[in-house]
Amino acid sequence: MKYVDEFRDPELGAALSGEILSLVEPGRHYKLMEVCGGHTHSIYKYGVDDLLPENVELVHGPGCPVCVIPMGRVDDGLAIARRENVIFTCFGDMMRVPGSEQTFLEAKAEGADIRMVYSPLDALRLAKANPEKDVVFFAIGFETTAPSTALTLKRAKLEGIENFLCVCNHVTIVPPLRALLESPDLRLDGFIGPGHVSTIVGVRPFEFIPKDYGRPLVTSGFEPLDILQGIQMILAQIAAGKAELENQYARVVPYEGNVAALRVMSEVFELRPHFEWRGLGFISQSGLRLSDAYADFDAELKYETPGVRVADPKACQCGEVLKGVIKPWECKVFGTACTPEHAIGTCMVSPEGACAAYYQYGRFAREREVV
Amino acid sequence: MTLAVSEGAECRVGSPEAGCITCGDVAVELDVLLVDEGRGLALCRDADDRRESVEIALVGDVSSGDRLLVHAGTAIVHLGPGAKAA
Repeated sequence: MKYVDEFRDPELGAALSGEILSLVEPGRHYKLMEVCGGHTHSIYKYGVDDLLPENVELVHGPGCPVCVIPMGRVDDGLAIARRENVIFTCFGDMMRVPGSEQTFLEAKAEGADIRMVYSPLDALRLAKANPEKDVVFFAIGFETTAPSTALTLKRAKLEGIENFLCVCNHVTIVPPLRALLESPDLRLDGFIGPGHVSTIVGVRPFEFIPKDYGRPLVTSGFEPLDILQGIQMILAQIAAGKAELENQYARVVPYEGNVAALRVMSEVFELRPHFEWRGLGFISQSGLRLSDAYADFDAELKYETPGVRVADPKACQCGEVLKGVIKPWECKVFGTACTPEHAIGTCMVSPEGACAAYYQYGRFAREREVV
Repeated sequence: MTLAVSEGAECRVGSPEAGCITCGDVAVELDVLLVDEGRGLALCRDADDRRESVEIALVGDVSSGDRLLVHAGTAIVHLGPGAKAA
């Protein structure tokens, strides 16, 4: 397929692989984090890691929004979803994320009116079609998705649709990266920066990584050659003793991001003082809530929710996977008690989750043979 | 061309095997078929002619034939007339 095959060309991949090999020092171990779950998915789908030298390790970051949502937030959503007068809506992956007692899908099977939507606009359409009910949208996602929710709320306000409400779980990408860089558990040599988040926020917000922490970050696209080239650019910087911000995905990502999207986000949302991330704990100013101007649409203000922090199941090691401390296959329940069909942890739910990506593409068998 | 675009098209675009198109950091490229300037929506299609109505408020002027990068029903990048991100 034109414009796709060029980015999956095996010969170019082999050439990049050779360049990467020439850039690494034998005996030195390189640990690079791909921030975004979309990158994780591509890496295991296309076998990008097979083209890397053994001493270049890819660590999966916290950039899958489903994976980082804590159980307590799911319980809050369930408390609203079970109400008689509510049509509760969420994205498909969210349906299977476990709360402390059940998932949205299980609550739906018990009779709650929970519906999967593909966009917030779908939820708004439901609100218009069902004026006698409250239609609640369980919003998740990073800055890529938040503008879509913001625009929908603006549209609801403009059109005077009063039965559309939102549980806002949107998060921002920079605070968890800072938390990871401060973590004593993890030593990283560089970052493959998020691609589509950066179309919104731009490249500028990541300047602190080279500046304050001396680590290179290269914003990369999602095709296999994009990722390989991103890795090559990071390793070239390290070989030259540099730590800079580079944009491999410049054909899509503008340096300043999408100003209109940032403007609508700042109008509709404001930062929460702190927000809980699965595996990373509470991180200051990392989550969004609706601004005062949109308080009428805030389901958390209208409905009582438990608001309780729920510990992850003991067997689940999603937290360590999300911090890159262990590989998915090193989790005690990976591929046995925890599978995509019966996920214990969130990383096994979304295709962008590191565990689901490993599982789906059969990586666990190979890795375990190595062990 | 400016025509009324229905909100919430039933047919959805993007390949499930490519991952979660709505909640991950994943976006799909769509071609614009029709623009409803009054409501800020465009009817778009993917390479397999699956169609979806898309919010276009964030990407400036849009015309039929343009290519957009779309995430969760919202265009986030204008890739130009017939442009391609990959």
